Amino acid sequence: MEDVIPQVVFYLFGLPITNTVVSTWIMMIIIIILVILIRKFKPDAGEMIVEFIENMISSVMPADANPAKYMTVLGTMAIFLILANILSIIPFLVSPTANINTTIALALIIFFSVHFYGIKEKGLVGYLRDFANPIFMLPLEIVSQLSRTLSLSIRLFGNILSTDLIVAIVFSLIPFIVPLPLAALGMLTGVLQAYIFTVLSSLYIGSAIEIEQNEKERQILKREIAEAS
Amino acid sequence: MWQLESETLIIIITTLGAIIGIVIGTIAPAIMEGIAVKKALDGIARQPDAANDLRTTLLISMALLESTAIYVLLVILVLLFANPLLNRFF
Repeated sequence: MEDVIPQVVFYLFGLPITNTVVSTWIMMIIIIILVILIRKFKPDAGEMIVEFIENMISSVMPADANPAKYMTVLGTMAIFLILANILSIIPFLVSPTANINTTIALALIIFFSVHFYGIKEKGLVGYLRDFANPIFMLPLEIVSQLSRTLSLSIRLFGNILSTDLIVAIVFSLIPFIVPLPLAALGMLTGVLQAYIFTVLSSLYIGSAIEIEQNEKERQILKREIAEAS
Repeated sequence: MWQLESETLIIIITTLGAIIGIVIGTIAPAIMEGIAVKKALDGIARQPDAANDLRTTLLISMALLESTAIYVLLVILVLLFANPLLNRFF
């Protein structure tokens, strides 16, 4: 069981450094090398990846939103998560997302960027007015904001940890060939969870920047009146 | 009647609770996911043009349904590997 629970490797200035942090560093090096290689030898592949992520985001955003604005957060999240979730197939490395601190940090980034983009798009007053449109929905809205952050982090952590745990248990029973299909299933789950995390984050950002239909009509009406007078 | 130490008793009870919990906690999401996939496949068979929209919605809702089973797994992992009751009483 010691394979799946994060272990302290060494102490840096009194801070405990677990093995998931070390594998995050290794993954950062892998990402940087991949980016340099793709830029140098195959720029088309990089374009294809960016377009794929942009299509994924724009499929759940409101129709008039520009997905390229949110690529900085969501694209980074998608690339990081796809690599992080399948990192445990490399021997001696664990997935960084098998530690609950990593996933909670990622979910908090999404939590703050939802409000940041909402305020940037609508202004502070407009965002607060749209936040709970009938005012008695305010407590429910606050609870849903908090619980979606919790569920976003725990879903990712639980899925990655459970597949790693299954592989570890089967490996301790039969260490030859038999864990391979389960590791493949773990890779599939990891890619799917990365997709789901990105799509849900863009759904939340999309719901924060969405302007209600009657609100839009009122703005158009106001502009027409201003032009006429 | 057997004379059990209370530590052993707590371990037995948590193990039983973990088994019952994981069984019930995986049956319900499995049934709900089956219903969701069945309805989505019906929709795709009836209207193949809508397959892309349906697939995105299906994946998101499957993830939301799946997360209930993951919560159960997480509680049971805490019970088995980091039992708070054992540290409190002994």
